[in-house]
Amino acid sequence: MKLSFELNGIEHYLDVEPGEPLLSLLRRLGMKSVKEGCGTGDCGACTVLLDGRAVRSCLMVAPQVQGKRVMTLDGLGTVNDPHPLQEAFLECGAVQCGFCTPGMILVAYELLTRTSDPTPDDVRNAIAGNLCRCTGYVKIVDAVLRAAEWKREGRWR
Amino acid sequence: MRLTGIRRFHFARDAEEALSLLAAYDGGAALLAGGVDLLRSPRGDIEGVIDITRIGLSYVRESRGGLAIGATTTLTEILASAAAPAYAGGLLASALSQVAAPPLRNMATLGGALVSAHPWADIPTVLVALGAEVRWQGEKVGKAPVEELYGTAFRGLFRRAVALEVVLPPWEGAFAHEKISRTRYDIALLNACCGLGLDGEEIRWARVAVGARPNRGERLPWAEEALIGRKPGGELWNEVQRLVESRVEVGDDRRAGAAWRRRTAGVLVRRALARAAQRGET
Amino acid sequence: MAVETQQGGAVGQSVRKVDGPSLVAGKPLFTLDLDIPGSLVGAILPSPHAHARIVSVDTSAAEQVPGVRAILHHGNVPRVPYTTAGQGWPEPSPYDTVLFDTKVRFVGDRVAAVAAETEDAAAEALARIRVEYELLPPILSPEEALAPGAPIIHDEPDAEGIYDASHNIAAAVDIPIGDAAAALAAAPVTAEATCEIPYSQHATIEPHCVIAYFDDAGRLVVRTSTQVPFHVRRIVARVVGLDPARIRVVKPRIGGGFGSKQEVLLEPVAALLALRTGRPVRMAYTRQEVFVASRTRHPMKVTVRLGATKDGALHALEMDVLSNTGAYGAHALTVLSNVGSKTLPLYNKAPHVHFHGRAVYTNLPVAGAYRGYGATQGYFALEVAMDKLAEKLGLDPVELRRRNYIRVGETSPIFEKIGEGREGTAQIVRSCALEECLRIGAERIGWREKRGQRREEGPWVHGLGMACAMQGSGITGVDMAAATLVMQDDGSFRLLVGATDLGTGSDTILAQIAAQELGVPVDRVLVYSSDTDFTPFDTGAYASSTTYVSGNAVLRAASDVRAQILDVAAAALGERASALELAAGVVRSRKSGKSLTLSEIGHRATYVTDQRQIAATASFACPESPPPFAAFFCEVAVDRETGVVRVERFVVAADCGVAIHPQAAEGQLEGAVLQGIGHALCEEMLFSPRGRCLNAGFFDYKIPSSLDAPAIEAILVPSEEPTGPWGAKSISEVGINGPLPAISNAIYDAVGARMVRAPFTPERVRFALGVIP
Ligand SMILES: Cc1cc2nc3c(=O)[nH]c(=O)nc-3n(C[C@H](O)[C@H](O)[C@H](O)COP(=O)(O)OP(=O)(O)OC[C@H]3O[C@@H](n4cnc5c(N)ncnc54)[C@H](O)[C@@H]3O)c2cc1C
Ligand code: FES
Ligand code: FES
Repeated sequence: MKLSFELNGIEHYLDVEPGEPLLSLLRRLGMKSVKEGCGTGDCGACTVLLDGRAVRSCLMVAPQVQGKRVMTLDGLGTVNDPHPLQEAFLECGAVQCGFCTPGMILVAYELLTRTSDPTPDDVRNAIAGNLCRCTGYVKIVDAVLRAAEWKREGRWR
Repeated sequence: MRLTGIRRFHFARDAEEALSLLAAYDGGAALLAGGVDLLRSPRGDIEGVIDITRIGLSYVRESRGGLAIGATTTLTEILASAAAPAYAGGLLASALSQVAAPPLRNMATLGGALVSAHPWADIPTVLVALGAEVRWQGEKVGKAPVEELYGTAFRGLFRRAVALEVVLPPWEGAFAHEKISRTRYDIALLNACCGLGLDGEEIRWARVAVGARPNRGERLPWAEEALIGRKPGGELWNEVQRLVESRVEVGDDRRAGAAWRRRTAGVLVRRALARAAQRGET
Repeated sequence: MAVETQQGGAVGQSVRKVDGPSLVAGKPLFTLDLDIPGSLVGAILPSPHAHARIVSVDTSAAEQVPGVRAILHHGNVPRVPYTTAGQGWPEPSPYDTVLFDTKVRFVGDRVAAVAAETEDAAAEALARIRVEYELLPPILSPEEALAPGAPIIHDEPDAEGIYDASHNIAAAVDIPIGDAAAALAAAPVTAEATCEIPYSQHATIEPHCVIAYFDDAGRLVVRTSTQVPFHVRRIVARVVGLDPARIRVVKPRIGGGFGSKQEVLLEPVAALLALRTGRPVRMAYTRQEVFVASRTRHPMKVTVRLGATKDGALHALEMDVLSNTGAYGAHALTVLSNVGSKTLPLYNKAPHVHFHGRAVYTNLPVAGAYRGYGATQGYFALEVAMDKLAEKLGLDPVELRRRNYIRVGETSPIFEKIGEGREGTAQIVRSCALEECLRIGAERIGWREKRGQRREEGPWVHGLGMACAMQGSGITGVDMAAATLVMQDDGSFRLLVGATDLGTGSDTILAQIAAQELGVPVDRVLVYSSDTDFTPFDTGAYASSTTYVSGNAVLRAASDVRAQILDVAAAALGERASALELAAGVVRSRKSGKSLTLSEIGHRATYVTDQRQIAATASFACPESPPPFAAFFCEVAVDRETGVVRVERFVVAADCGVAIHPQAAEGQLEGAVLQGIGHALCEEMLFSPRGRCLNAGFFDYKIPSSLDAPAIEAILVPSEEPTGPWGAKSISEVGINGPLPAISNAIYDAVGARMVRAPFTPERVRFALGVIP
């Protein structure tokens, strides 16, 4: 069936199988930052933003995004021009293997679009559905708090 | 990832269209709200899905002192709504914020939770405790208390009907929800939702529901009776705790055993009562 | 972002992770992020039975499924016994596995594999393979396995290296030193603990996955999520019968390993499917398969008996281990050995030590390497027993450790007696800052003030517990790593290592080790890791070996290159090399003050005079394995009424020598501690009475979330390991050894219940607090 939606700021018109998981569509479109860690909604590795809200792309089928805005990590920043939130992850050592990182950054991004002054508990709550097996979450929480600080200082976009 | 077995996808424009599509598929289609359950383990017999998230059923309204919540309202939308936080002493804010995690709450709808009615879930326990009523549209428009519905073959009903709205009645008093899980991002090993209304020194009404036992949340009318007309306080809560321990129906599953559930059910009821009483005072 | 140039010495600085910028940008760095046109999808048919003989396999219906290109099963795949354990050759694990056997030994065992054009076609084909089984009685516990007359799990005649197949014993170890039994009988004070750990899983967020394809020269390329690319190459070649020279193994970025990817699982299947079809084949375990068909920690029951004098000097130590290796013996012997070899030397003063253990087969999932590698199981029992002993002696548990732990200059007979499935290597401890770790950790948690106070907060009772642990740094006499360092004409460097960065940060750390020696910022060293065509050999990322073993190889290569640079500069400047120094990218003469930049030296050597490639390859074999040490302190709160345990604070103070990259070292500790907290509180695989895993997914196998993790306080306590690169030792494993005993001891401090069966679920804790009717 026909599908039109916005992916990282670019309008897409394409033909999809109605039963294709959104996760697999996005990866097929080259968005390899969207990871599959479980396929059942439990781990958060496949997180994307749908109209600004973090959702599990493994629990959606492609047609559900008709007319909506989808953002993957690819749409946030680049290697040479990272978003401050990505910088904060780097600076704080919040990345070990990096497999949970795309989802983690996106849920943090959603949080920080809503508030600039989260408490450590707010951050822990926001990322609670995104499993990380490497870090113990300590440095991830640090990174989100640092990014929030930068946001308050006006270093944001 | 594998394709789901879904072959056709429809956006319903309204409940009538959703119903006629359902009828046309004759059992081979399902309504899709948040999809958290439907797409997590797609039923093999489903060929078509009918998305009902764009038919205007996402809202939270105050309604005669209570709340009316559209069936496709997500848990996040309820939490963010203006009306929900004050309702029933803040019950919804505390109970719903313990459901799953933000990205799942961004997707999951109240109607989906109501219809899925997982035995381990918190939402059915809460709805039953609150005496929530659901309105639906099938061949006819219907309405029933959630508690009553759960005593019937409600899943069959919702294969031919669209849940439209959940109505939460007004309560003068407060509720509290307790949940124990293995991690903080987990379903309940046991949950309890209790509410109290006070008339001076006396308990005027009481609601007690316990869920994930491992069966779905149900009220304990005998525990409620034991509370009504009595003087609130630690002694009474302890008495009800013992009562619950002795009478609550519990069972084993892989998540927890009956003996632990029995003891802990008493504890959770006592704690929920104490918290509800405290909330009611403020 | 501009890549910032790091000034000054590289070692000891938390420089930006070399692969960090591309990871935070979500670049396609992982195994499955590569799309190879024309790829087939591979999938595996799992056994539905725990123990059965395969009578027949009928693939005719499956072959009819459109899009199916190949089906493998025992009838069409040569039978080659091997071990899936990715270890040095010859492997100490038994050769008790074949790709497709005529018998299945656990629910999830490999019966057949297909390659098809789509995932749906592959799934459809699997569903249509008809297998006739003759059911055999399953063995679902080590006790049943050892019972007289038990069915024999490995009755195949061609298995090699099984200790006693007819009694289901995969491996056994018995190391007596002195006479522990007599010493225990005579000891004035004794303590004993039996602790049990269930099946638990690594749960890397990236599932195991692989792509096998052919390069332009027709060679087989295996791009795989592995910790051991060189072992993969060797084992795949043997199992599929291909000349190793025809195989290239590429390790891209890996989404976590923790030991589960030290195992050669999907690679030979994908390779064989690619060979049969001539097409690229991609395979990935589903999350459910990761749980059931990859590897787990060895479930164990460990008993420790301690005998001490009245002033707390340990005199006798006995450790008895029953390990469940599951259906196959991957790492059975070596993990078992490590239960003793990485724990008992910590308390080296006891003259009488007895270590005894057996690893037995059952019809349950296969255990393997998992961070801590047996030491985690050993420390649980040892450190709970130490807590009991301290109580009996009326001694502060910290003080009891102080009186007994191994000091610099000391040794333990265990080092020599127990190695990796054979004798070990005698060694003395050359660095140990455990005293400081204990002091700082105790102070940070508030040990003196808070322990034994049983502070109450409603139903919550608080308690404090502690534990100590050590590990090793590489495997003596087994591990070998090599590095090639090349100087480019512009004076920058390329570092090629076989070491595998799994997210640990080893690429960065190895670059720092080289940069320090070369006097350049880290960003002047470009690291390329793990491609068997391009990087020199490395045994792989396991046994806490990378910083120490691979790091030493890098350091050797760097000092060789440094000497070559000085030679070229000496010729150019007309001075003696000994008068030159290299710092901040410049070679300068101490005598004349004349200088040359590295770029000038590079250009000269490359293009101008006495032309040559400045480069060196060096290797390092691990002669000793210096232990890192750690002291763990935690505060828990126990809800007496429900049995719920909350870890309020967790302090770990660790000595990893000189931390090359402090932030990465802390990260290793934090991650390891949280995995240990998971073991302690919530992680356990459950099985049906027929051996089927009931919770093979994150919905019901719970790993800690951000809300369960306390703010873990990781403190690095420096020491200097003289044999380590820039004074470094390992850090990746030691942190997982402490949480189980420290939390158990803290629960005891809070409520007086000894938790000896992990995980300490609400139900278990509540039962331990008193009988529930
Ligand atoms: C990982 C995870 C954790 C969870 N944790 C919790 C928890 O802690 N506590 C808790 O209470 N719950 C929990 N849940 C359950 C969650 O609340 C429900 O799964 C969710 O609310 C379902 O809503 P949905 O909109 O996604 O339903 P869908 O998947 O869209 O639908 C579910 C079912 O209801 C039907 N349906 C949906 N809407 C309607 C309607 N309006 N009329 C008729 N039929 C309808 C569908 O056809 C389908 O059969 C968890 C779920 C997951 C996956
Ligand atoms: S892959 Fe979607 S939540 Fe794990
Ligand atoms: S960094 Fe590896 S899972 Fe989070």
